[in-house]
Amino acid sequence: MPLLVATALTKDYPMNGEVVHALRGVSLTVAPGDYVAIVGPSGCGKSTLLQLLGGIDTPSAGSVALEGTRLETLGDSALTRLRLTRLGFVFQRFHLLPVLSAAENVELPMAEAGLPRDARRARARELLRYVGLEGRAGHRATQLSGGEMQRVAIARALANRPALLLADEPTGELDAATGRGILDLFRRLNDDGATIVVVTHDDRLAGEAGRVIHMLDGHIVDETRGAGR
Amino acid sequence: MNPLRNLARHPVRTALALAGIAVTTAMLLDMVLLAGGIERSFAQLLLGRGYQVRVSPRGTLPFDTEATIPGARGIAATMRRDPAVEAVAPIVGSSIHARRGDSLVTLFGYGIDPAAQALYQVTAGADLAPGDSAGLLLSAPAARVLAAAIGDTVVLVSRLDPQMAVAGSSRTVVVRGVVRWLYDARDQASVGTLVPVMQELAAFRAEDRVSAFAVRVTGDADSAAARLRAALPSLEINSVGAMVLRFRERLTYFRQLSLILGTISLGVTVLLVGTLLTITVNERRGEIATLRAIGVARGTIVRAVMLEGGALTTLGGGLGVLLGLATAEQLDRILTSFPGLPAAISFFVPDARSLALAAAVLVITGIVAGAYPAWLAARAPIAETLRTEAT
Amino acid sequence: MLLPTTTLLLLTLAGVPVQAAPQAATPALPIALERRLAERLGARVGDTLAVGREAGAPEGRAVVTAIYEPAADPSVITRRDLHARFHLPDFTALLGAPDRVDRFGVGLAPGVPPDSAARELNRIAFGFQASPSAEIASESSQTFRVVSRFHDAIAIISVVASAIFLLCIMLLKVEERRRDAAVMRFTGIRRRTIFAALLLEAVLVAALGSAMGVGLALVAGAATNAYYQRFFDTTLIFSAVTPGILRFSVLLSLGLGLGAGALAAWRLVRTRPLVLWGRE
Repeated sequence: MPLLVATALTKDYPMNGEVVHALRGVSLTVAPGDYVAIVGPSGCGKSTLLQLLGGIDTPSAGSVALEGTRLETLGDSALTRLRLTRLGFVFQRFHLLPVLSAAENVELPMAEAGLPRDARRARARELLRYVGLEGRAGHRATQLSGGEMQRVAIARALANRPALLLADEPTGELDAATGRGILDLFRRLNDDGATIVVVTHDDRLAGEAGRVIHMLDGHIVDETRGAGR
Repeated sequence: MNPLRNLARHPVRTALALAGIAVTTAMLLDMVLLAGGIERSFAQLLLGRGYQVRVSPRGTLPFDTEATIPGARGIAATMRRDPAVEAVAPIVGSSIHARRGDSLVTLFGYGIDPAAQALYQVTAGADLAPGDSAGLLLSAPAARVLAAAIGDTVVLVSRLDPQMAVAGSSRTVVVRGVVRWLYDARDQASVGTLVPVMQELAAFRAEDRVSAFAVRVTGDADSAAARLRAALPSLEINSVGAMVLRFRERLTYFRQLSLILGTISLGVTVLLVGTLLTITVNERRGEIATLRAIGVARGTIVRAVMLEGGALTTLGGGLGVLLGLATAEQLDRILTSFPGLPAAISFFVPDARSLALAAAVLVITGIVAGAYPAWLAARAPIAETLRTEAT
Repeated sequence: MLLPTTTLLLLTLAGVPVQAAPQAATPALPIALERRLAERLGARVGDTLAVGREAGAPEGRAVVTAIYEPAADPSVITRRDLHARFHLPDFTALLGAPDRVDRFGVGLAPGVPPDSAARELNRIAFGFQASPSAEIASESSQTFRVVSRFHDAIAIISVVASAIFLLCIMLLKVEERRRDAAVMRFTGIRRRTIFAALLLEAVLVAALGSAMGVGLALVAGAATNAYYQRFFDTTLIFSAVTPGILRFSVLLSLGLGLGAGALAAWRLVRTRPLVLWGRE
């Protein structure tokens, strides 16, 4: 059974008095354990597609089903709960809470999910160790480098053991060397069983994926195989 | 999402906001204290010796005018017939003089019945004994101005005839004690004798006139006052509660001033907290959109923003209470220098109810101020904000 | 020359009901009522009133010969006392104390200093005390000096609160322009130009706010006067927005706005553009 099924997704939104057709009937299926990279030029609709897949935006037409649940049938709080427990997000600009430590940022989604404090702490420690930041757990987000912040953001995305990890340009703000570390981390995650959909401009990152989906002007124009699963 | 840590992100801005809230809270507290303080103080003063009813000439309040009540003994007897009446204290008040060497000193003279009195507390020496027509009680300022001590002899004179340069009435008395007259203004030189002595000095004796009565009753003072009013329709008879209500009319200015300034203070607090949080929320749009994207519920975001508003108002309010109590003391010092005001009256009387009221109003203010920015934060469209923030 | 005062208070009069005065042998005394008292009693010129020392015990009749508007006196405004005027001999006779007065007003010959005249009178005084009018005026205005000091204290608190509020708002207003400032820096605009632009904006906001504040003060002052004049039935002015107050308020708000704007703008232009943009 596929993990995620997107069917005939279209997304239009007004901009400066005109309607922008960001997606024009995109369909996509993601199986458990897939590592999918979505690539394409700026404005081709790849970030919009990721937002629709993650339930943080609603399509103008079409549907998205995660583990058999159609997202458009859910109300705001159910959708929010689904994002919290079944999806993990990584953003280009990390968006960590600067007043919290690395460990507290990782604990945040678990606290929201109602996990007891001890369990949260143990899981945050485990995740920070996984992303190679066990020594930086107590540091504030503002005291971390860009690469470290992105690792914390990845640990945060994994906090509630999501079924699907969605990443939007996760190396976009990082230099080549630091970006390489993030690529390796995504690779390792997928090897350990995580299902990943990543939007990227980064050819290296796309090359690591098992499936590379090419988009242009709101359409999927091609799908190729990458080096990964 | 600890609100204190969020506030610490912008220390200058937070410090200014806290200072602003502290000053406006101080103003609010002072105005709450002012609105009810003098009434409470006045009621405490009137009930100081447990007499709950006052009797004065019709259309006046006690000592408000020079009008007097004739036939005092008969009136007192009528009042004592009421089963609720425990004690009737006749009070005579008149301007009199005392000799000091070759000159005369002007004093305020009280005529009292030591067995039933609502006017003073003995601070030194002894009270007047019943029937002690030669005894005198002095206030500390009177003792100073007469240079008299307990046991000294004082000559009281009254009804002076300027043309003949003689006193119409004169009485030699001995100082028995120093007292604090409850209704005296600061530095007021007052003396007290038995009622008949003062009546004679004030030329009230013939018609047995007194200035007022204080009456101690058991049970409900308002119904006792109503019964006495029915029995003595030519007199003004009020319970202390009713007098406070009449007194309140004269304090309209202070009550309205407190209402207006209190409202402005609250308005400023709402604007300050509301503006600060709105700008803060706008600055954190990306952060909030991210939190929403990773599954943080709207309620959590709203709670976080409101908590931040609450933390600001609580911290600022805490400082404001301290500042308010300090400024209330200064303002009270200014207002209690009103000429003729009883020294025991205070305009700003801190009490638990006022503090609780100010705190409750402040908390509600914080919530109201945080409501709009919290709503903004909760309603922010996630995808659109993330798109904008990515540029 | 000694001038006996002819105006005395008869405070108990307000409690005397208007009643058809009995036809008596004694002639009715002429009486002048202040307007509020006349309105309260429903009396008009020519009406006859029953008057007396004790409430409910009329001792004579008085015919209303005049109704007058008293001079607005803030010292008695909250007491709401009602006044009437008799000719002095009529009044002292009514009080049962003929040839007794409360006080005299004394007119001095030109060139005689009031202080020395009062001293001279007090030297021979028995049963009275002479005081220069200025001293009495000073004593009777003590109440207003207290109220004035109270207002000053309240005003200081208000000014401090307003100043902090203004500083805070101006700081936030300039901080709001972080991204714009970053864009300007990215495009090579000099710090000085950005600083001047932010400062100009702060001044404009402060000026606009001051103008609105002046308008609000005028409206609030007019409303205060209208309300209290009606409440106390008086022509007294309760709120006076003077040019001095306006000048002080506007200069203070402009000064604070400018100071706060300059401080915030200076902080902003010293911050690196990437930090302003939020990328560092």
